[in-house]
Amino acid sequence: MTVPQQLEAASGPEESVSPTAVQVSGLTKVYPGGTRAVDDVSFDVKEGEIFGLLGPNGAGKTTTIKMITTLSKPTAGTIRVFGVDTRSSPETVRRMLGFVPQAISVDGDLTGYENLLIFSKLFYVDREQRSKRIRDALELFGLADRADDLVKHYSGGMMRRLEIAQALVNRPKLLFLDEPSIGLDPYSRLQVIDHIRELNRNFGTTILLTTHDMAEADELCDRLAIMSLGKIATSGAPKELKRSVGGDVLTVTSSGKLPDSVPPELGKVASSGQGTMKILTVDGEKAIPRITDFLEASGAVVESVSLSRPTLDDVFMKYAKGSLQQEGTYKDARSARRSATRHGR
Amino acid sequence: MSSLQRSVSSAFTIAEMEARKLRHDSTELWMRTVQPALWLLVFGEVFNTIRGLAPGGYSYIQYIAPGVLAQSVLFIAIFYGITIVWERDVGLLTKLLSTPSPRISVVVGKALAAGVRGIFQGIMIFALALIIGVNLRFDPLDMAGVLLVSVLFAMCFASLSMTLASFLKTRDRMMGIGQVITMPLFFASNAIYPISLMPAWLQSVSAYNPLSYVVDGMRAMLLTGDYSGLPVDILVLLAFTIVFILTSSVLLKRLIE
Repeated sequence: MTVPQQLEAASGPEESVSPTAVQVSGLTKVYPGGTRAVDDVSFDVKEGEIFGLLGPNGAGKTTTIKMITTLSKPTAGTIRVFGVDTRSSPETVRRMLGFVPQAISVDGDLTGYENLLIFSKLFYVDREQRSKRIRDALELFGLADRADDLVKHYSGGMMRRLEIAQALVNRPKLLFLDEPSIGLDPYSRLQVIDHIRELNRNFGTTILLTTHDMAEADELCDRLAIMSLGKIATSGAPKELKRSVGGDVLTVTSSGKLPDSVPPELGKVASSGQGTMKILTVDGEKAIPRITDFLEASGAVVESVSLSRPTLDDVFMKYAKGSLQQEGTYKDARSARRSATRHGR
Repeated sequence: MSSLQRSVSSAFTIAEMEARKLRHDSTELWMRTVQPALWLLVFGEVFNTIRGLAPGGYSYIQYIAPGVLAQSVLFIAIFYGITIVWERDVGLLTKLLSTPSPRISVVVGKALAAGVRGIFQGIMIFALALIIGVNLRFDPLDMAGVLLVSVLFAMCFASLSMTLASFLKTRDRMMGIGQVITMPLFFASNAIYPISLMPAWLQSVSAYNPLSYVVDGMRAMLLTGDYSGLPVDILVLLAFTIVFILTSSVLLKRLIE
């Protein structure tokens, strides 16, 4: 890689103002043996957003991330990271990104401080800024008093925090997190999620993460894409996606006689019988009083109404269903288990 | 920073990483000195009683001291492939390769770390030789030369081992190949007996054995003081080292694909 290239990347008129952090088009990866792990995938990640890549095991998420981080070569298609092509200038691309892989990747035989020091050197962080950033990161992530202990004596949550602290020291423009909360206890998980959000808010770091935890994706992601069998099955903001699988469901119980149908402007009866009725409606909260009024007017005595909203789980099940029959590979299971046990230590 | 400066700085950072690990836990380093000590103290002492085994009127124990050093460096270096496979397995390699540092820096850095271990072996052999009274040329310049050759030799076989790791990919296979490579190299070299004692076919194999060149160079500096073969010894070693570093840098990514 040459210096002019790098200057161009930093100051090129189109590239520096480009609001697109990652631009993936027609991305395909065929492994020797013919497995199409990723099949003609296209998506954009905007600068400053938290983007989630979801999907069952073996859907091609990790392969996609490996290609964006230049660790694996695409069979076809192009990837641009802040306008820079991953194939022609991989080292320029790597200077802009941080990567937290699924398995714990901090070095257990070094101290927490040393892990941050070595990787900041490998990222060519300025010597003057280095020690202050390391001290701040250790402080912020609550690791300052354990900084000189070997990382193999850390808890799983601390190791994960240290990995995210590396991103704070190296200040990548784009951070990849592959299953950031896998195997963590609820408290550590919340801490990790908070730290991810802080990085995004305070430093404008664009974040691309994969997860199996739908509640987490819903909470964190501005937009997400669901992958299935190597393709993008659907993408959008969590709200839109939830709306797309159907509206809210009202469950009404009544001691009187329930009508067979409701006026279409209120909703649609999904099922009824034995004093309960499920009604599909668009805006559940607003529909409750109107539906109650209607039912009482038609002779029912409403005892309770409960509202349930579709969750990302429903979205996931709808789009990933086809591939769920096909279980993840042995390798996936092994690596997920391994990181879980390493975290659990 | 230019791209060359970055590569050099990263290589030293990777070496620093390994050196820091050794500082936290140096148990392995000490255990690695047991084997060469046995060669000198047991094997060397026993065969020392047989006269005429070593050429040039040297005692047998004098003769094998450089060979034992070279062999112990070889044994350390050849298992670097296992380390890199292990780092792949725990996800560290992926992390290293996702940094902006060039691949060649990762390979050179690891190789340099093997060199650091080589220096330690060298110093231990010198100390052992002093203690048991093996008469070597303890000239500072010669000793520095021997350490330098140890570093180069360790780098050479560490990068060969990493090249092999990108094909073999598992720790078990690397353990196996380590044995397959080291023992034949050792026995087909001038480490513990002169080449002139070998059958003709083994003599011709020995001419292509990098270990023979290393032992020859070390023996020149520690024993004979005859430097005529030294330039060839070092050039051969340097050529092998550069080739293995380049192949390993290109092939390293096979490990994470």
